[in-house]
Amino acid sequence: MNAIATFFNDFGHQMLISTQEHVILTVVAMLIATATAVPLGIILSRCRFKMVVSAVLGAVNIVQPIPSLALVAFTLALFIWLNNIIVAVHLPVIGMLPGLVALVAYALLPILRNTYTGVKQVDPTVIEVATGMGMTKRQILFSVELPLALPFIMAGIRIATVWTIGVATLVSLVGAGGLGDLVFKGLSNYRIALIFAGAAPAAALALLCDWVLGIVEKWLSPSGVQEPQSGGV
Amino acid sequence: MISFENVTKTYPGEVDAVIDLTLEVAEGETISLLGTSGSGKTTTMKMVNRLVDPTCGRILVAGVDIMEQDPTVLRRSMGYAIQHIGLFPHMSVAENIGVVPNLLGWDRKRVDERVDTLLSMVGLEPGEFRDRMPSQLSGGQRQRIGVARALGADPPIILMDEPFGALDPITREELQNEFLELETEIRKTILFVTHDVFEAVKMGDRIALMDEGRLQQFATPRELVENPANEFVDQFLGQHRFQLSLLTRTVRTIVDEVADTDGQGPSQRPEVFIPGHSSLVAALDLFKTTGRETIPVYLRDKYRGTLSKSDLIKVISQILGDTGGGQ
Repeated sequence: MNAIATFFNDFGHQMLISTQEHVILTVVAMLIATATAVPLGIILSRCRFKMVVSAVLGAVNIVQPIPSLALVAFTLALFIWLNNIIVAVHLPVIGMLPGLVALVAYALLPILRNTYTGVKQVDPTVIEVATGMGMTKRQILFSVELPLALPFIMAGIRIATVWTIGVATLVSLVGAGGLGDLVFKGLSNYRIALIFAGAAPAAALALLCDWVLGIVEKWLSPSGVQEPQSGGV
Repeated sequence: MISFENVTKTYPGEVDAVIDLTLEVAEGETISLLGTSGSGKTTTMKMVNRLVDPTCGRILVAGVDIMEQDPTVLRRSMGYAIQHIGLFPHMSVAENIGVVPNLLGWDRKRVDERVDTLLSMVGLEPGEFRDRMPSQLSGGQRQRIGVARALGADPPIILMDEPFGALDPITREELQNEFLELETEIRKTILFVTHDVFEAVKMGDRIALMDEGRLQQFATPRELVENPANEFVDQFLGQHRFQLSLLTRTVRTIVDEVADTDGQGPSQRPEVFIPGHSSLVAALDLFKTTGRETIPVYLRDKYRGTLSKSDLIKVISQILGDTGGGQ
């Protein structure tokens, strides 16, 4: 009992601040990634040229296998390079911004890919019937395709959120804050308790988000959407 | 109501889908578009609601060239039902049926009432089915909803692409019969695409038989069966000739031939009678179920004569001779 009290006495305040930073990082990164990837996925699903589709998905794909730690470092390098070649640009190399860029880059793929797949998997006969009944393209998108793609899109957002919470511990390296601060501080000082104070809330956060978004995903998928539309009696 | 004037549809690099089609569909008429796959029957139907645009020629609906109309407005004025039903899986039964009324901006109360009317019309209890999801329905129920949805905004024209094609034979026959009954009440102009010659005969006032994009014959079922316009039609009907004859000839034609129409029948229609427009098969069925030797024939409320079992059988064996039992 005493040990736990001491632990929270020592680290409680810092844990609270870091968790708050961590949540802000995650939320902002996810908002930007979703706002970018969902429309992009829809546009991509409309694209007639297979080349363009594979080029875009490929480009986003390239980011994925890069180890997250290296990606954070790359972002930093990219910022410095941009600052050097474009005189008018003075990007902050340390702080929230480079951290966010790395997080967004990481979160894009699952959302983009799931949006694309989600819209593409909609049964073409359903689209044809919708057209035949006199829906405009826009009405088909908003009242047929997107509702049917929503469970897929939500699944993408859920995966991306869990990843982002994990990667967000690393962006502390570029001074973006978050629970990584505690972990790295603990690492450099050989203080296991401090590492734990950073790692435990991050893990809890990831589990919590996975659970909550899982419920949202289920709630958003109307009964019957995942079941195949076959003519069986 | 719908007229095709020298309509051709070609797809670049492919066989012509429809070639020089001229066809006139009268108001309130049901036309079966009959043919094998690749005959151009579906393309023909899809040109009416502009899911496919003709390469050349004109299509007039109610006297107006459809190319001069906004496709979405045009489509909302026609019902559309297809084989794969295509119910929107994320919408309830009521929402599915209400799609076109909602697109047309009907108020909620009117849509709700319409949904309930249509559900009753297709034999589904509104209270029970209104809020169900498509995944909670059987194949036959889904298809009924598909038909109800096509009737959604009470359009004068209905396009049906093998609407009962995916059903088992029993459910299929049930739905055909229900639809025929429904049709007499609603009097719509219907284009009914099918590859099944029996369905075409059953559903259509006239049949447009197509092959390789060309209209082979456009005639009533009886004419088609008894006077095939060319060798293709003859071969298409092929071994079904005898059965089709029994289906397409009506009792009335026999009564006019063999029975004395002078004889006054009972002024009141008796309980057991054959409607004059029944097919020979239906008459045969009635003789079998009632066990009678003679049954009076009525056309609406008018007595037309009396048909005896022996006369019927005589005619049938005559048809069997005509259609060449050896085929």
